[in-house]
Amino acid sequence: MTGGLKIRKMARNHSRRLLRSLEIMPGAISWSIIGFFVLLAVWRPVYCAVMIIVFDFYWIIRTIYLTTLLLLANRRLAKQRRRAWLRSCQKIPGWEQLRHLIIFPVYKEGLDILRPSLEALRQTHYPQDKMVVVLAFEGRHQPSAETARVLEREYKDAFGSLLVTFHPDNLPGEKRIKGANATWAAKRSREYFEARGIAQERVIVSCFDADTCVDREYFGCLTYHFLTVERPHQASYQPVPVYNNNIWYAPAFARIIETSASFCQMIESMRLEKFVTFSSHSMSFKTLVDIGYWPVDMISDDSVVYWKAFLHFNGDYRVVPLYTTVSMDAAYSSNFFKTIWVQYRQKRRWAWGVENFPFLVRGLAKNRQIPLPVKMRRSFQLLESHVTWAIWAFVIGIIGPLPVFLGGRFFAQSAIGYNLPRITGLLFNFTMYASIVWIVLSWTILPPRPRDVPWVKNLAMAAEWVIVPAVILLLGSTPALDAQTRLMLGRYMEFSATEKSRKVV
Amino acid sequence: MSVDQKIRTFLYYTSVSVFLIGLPFILAFSLSYKFDRRSFKFTRTGIISVKSQPPGATVTLDGQQLPDKTPMSISDLLPGMHTVALELDGYYPYERRIEVEGGKVARMEKVILFPLRSDTQQVNKEKISFFWLDEQSSALYFITRDENTLFRSDMDGGHFEQVCTFVPIAPAPRKWVFSPDRSRLAYFNQHRVGITELPQGKKRPAAAETVILDFPSDVINDMFWYADSYHIILMCRKRILICEARSGAVPVGLVNLAKRNSTGFYDSRTDSLYFMDSQQALDGNVYDNLYRLEMRNRVYPFTLPDFINLKGLEQRMNLLDWRPEDKKDGKKP
Repeated sequence: MTGGLKIRKMARNHSRRLLRSLEIMPGAISWSIIGFFVLLAVWRPVYCAVMIIVFDFYWIIRTIYLTTLLLLANRRLAKQRRRAWLRSCQKIPGWEQLRHLIIFPVYKEGLDILRPSLEALRQTHYPQDKMVVVLAFEGRHQPSAETARVLEREYKDAFGSLLVTFHPDNLPGEKRIKGANATWAAKRSREYFEARGIAQERVIVSCFDADTCVDREYFGCLTYHFLTVERPHQASYQPVPVYNNNIWYAPAFARIIETSASFCQMIESMRLEKFVTFSSHSMSFKTLVDIGYWPVDMISDDSVVYWKAFLHFNGDYRVVPLYTTVSMDAAYSSNFFKTIWVQYRQKRRWAWGVENFPFLVRGLAKNRQIPLPVKMRRSFQLLESHVTWAIWAFVIGIIGPLPVFLGGRFFAQSAIGYNLPRITGLLFNFTMYASIVWIVLSWTILPPRPRDVPWVKNLAMAAEWVIVPAVILLLGSTPALDAQTRLMLGRYMEFSATEKSRKVV
Repeated sequence: MSVDQKIRTFLYYTSVSVFLIGLPFILAFSLSYKFDRRSFKFTRTGIISVKSQPPGATVTLDGQQLPDKTPMSISDLLPGMHTVALELDGYYPYERRIEVEGGKVARMEKVILFPLRSDTQQVNKEKISFFWLDEQSSALYFITRDENTLFRSDMDGGHFEQVCTFVPIAPAPRKWVFSPDRSRLAYFNQHRVGITELPQGKKRPAAAETVILDFPSDVINDMFWYADSYHIILMCRKRILICEARSGAVPVGLVNLAKRNSTGFYDSRTDSLYFMDSQQALDGNVYDNLYRLEMRNRVYPFTLPDFINLKGLEQRMNLLDWRPEDKKDGKKP
């Protein structure tokens, strides 16, 4: 073996070991914290109680802080949703030269899902002739051909262009994931634009889930921001995802979780230094091409594409929040337990975003341009957010009462043993009070009640927030811990489309 | 920076400040430390947790009335003895001196305040001579003064009703015992056992079928129903008997007792009889021992009346003075 080959092999092994270490790190930290708390509860219940009280107090402060951010975001959303964005765009020279590339990666979704999405596009307050819509089907799903034919016939004149692509199966280096399909569609779109002499700089690409119904002002809002922000190609544009398509028909459990997910995104939109793209979003097509499109072998393509751009632009890349909504389907199934399972799987897939951590750290290690403090801050923020996600519900819901049960007589007689349940109870009561704010805010993002839904449902929707503690215990941390454990053990997840139900087509 | 971002920054630093400033106080409160504003020092204190039955009593600590009522906790107490008094209108006052230790909770959580006038009410509606409480059916049972009628009522005396009449025995029975399946009632005096079939369902016959068993040569001290509700176990002065609950049944001696008037208990869950007896040890002294006689149903599922004939039981206990051969020979135990 020559010296060069040897060095390359060593480097490959070193890189592989580094990657595995980084994959193990989040799960190992989360499990260590949980294990540490449990052992402490058994051997040193007083120390454990002190740490739980610190955590509880931190969580109360954090809840106040985040709920205030939510209120601010909600106020912004209420204000900007009603704005006539197209009129604002028309005042900016050159707006008419912009083209919108809208990609819908489709797997098994049929006409019942795709028609409303395309219909929502058709009804936007934006010239449809500036839109190039791509229906990106998976070649391996045979019935898609018929769906494509029907939609082409119905919508061929509705937009500037309607392209249909079929992503071939088993391309080298690819996994069966959404990002691979979207990348294939983006490459075909690039050929389309090059053939027509349309510069990539003039194209904004939006990658939407198949069930995404955009707000009527979405493209006006997006165009306005693209034209007015500094360095528009160094930004992604993130709307507020809501799950309104079937929200009135979804069971309480699913509704609470999906509304909470929308709230989380609204809160994140106020924390710009941590803001990362999620689900349906938009960005410069030129940037997408420059960074090599979406990842074709990672499930969390929506966030990885942000980190790719972040590394490409040496840390000078950001997410601009759009205070307009894109509406998707709430995930639920035919019965309560199936709904829990569907929701669990969906949250686990979201939590699989922890795979971004090794990707980011490796990228940062190779990059010499990004300042060290920025590298450390961003990687710590990513790691901290995932670890907190995986442990917080355990610490509050399960480990919190442990010292009382395992602490024995000595602990029961101590002042802290007496005060611990009271402080934990305070946190619980506080959460219930905070949920009043969440109830009011959840109404503000609800779509109008369909006619076939009785008005009593309004009351039911308010009352159902009492199940929040149960939701927290069931789906607060478990999916994240599951995802991190899988990554830690090298049991990599496969992409699976979330089962969704829609009553009204 | 937008206005919202400025607000957010302000909120962030405010939250961090509140956390950092508030945390020492929260921890001090949790660990029962009191902050002395004069000396700027934390002093370790204790807590008294006070609960009373009924709740709502006024609490006085070292002669000073506190604003809260029970259940409550008194915190920030310096270590040492403290006097806690509880008062509630219509109840006897309660007072106790209790020691408080730093960082610990002294508990006064089992205080019962007794009413000044006891809330006593008559439960029976007939002249009765005896009663007992049946926890299984949450009911009170009464025997009338003439010893031949059984009444039943709720725990508060409501739904007072006659269950049945039966044949009395003289002298008056010592005890009344229901069979485990509640189909029979047994009662006994020194030499006689009465067993009455209880009416089942809504049917309430005026006179129930009663069987009287006589034991002229024994003195019955106690009686238990066997788990099958068909046999009775009699603790007699000199021996332990088992007998079918039917007329003409022949009793079987389970154990001959060296100790007179021994006590015994039957555990229906394990199907075991526990009893005291005396035994002479190697040192020549006589000691009292506790014995357990296993009479497991599962060993003899279909031959319950004959179970004592089985060798296994005999070998296990080695206490029987009666042998199976005796029966074969036609001898009575």
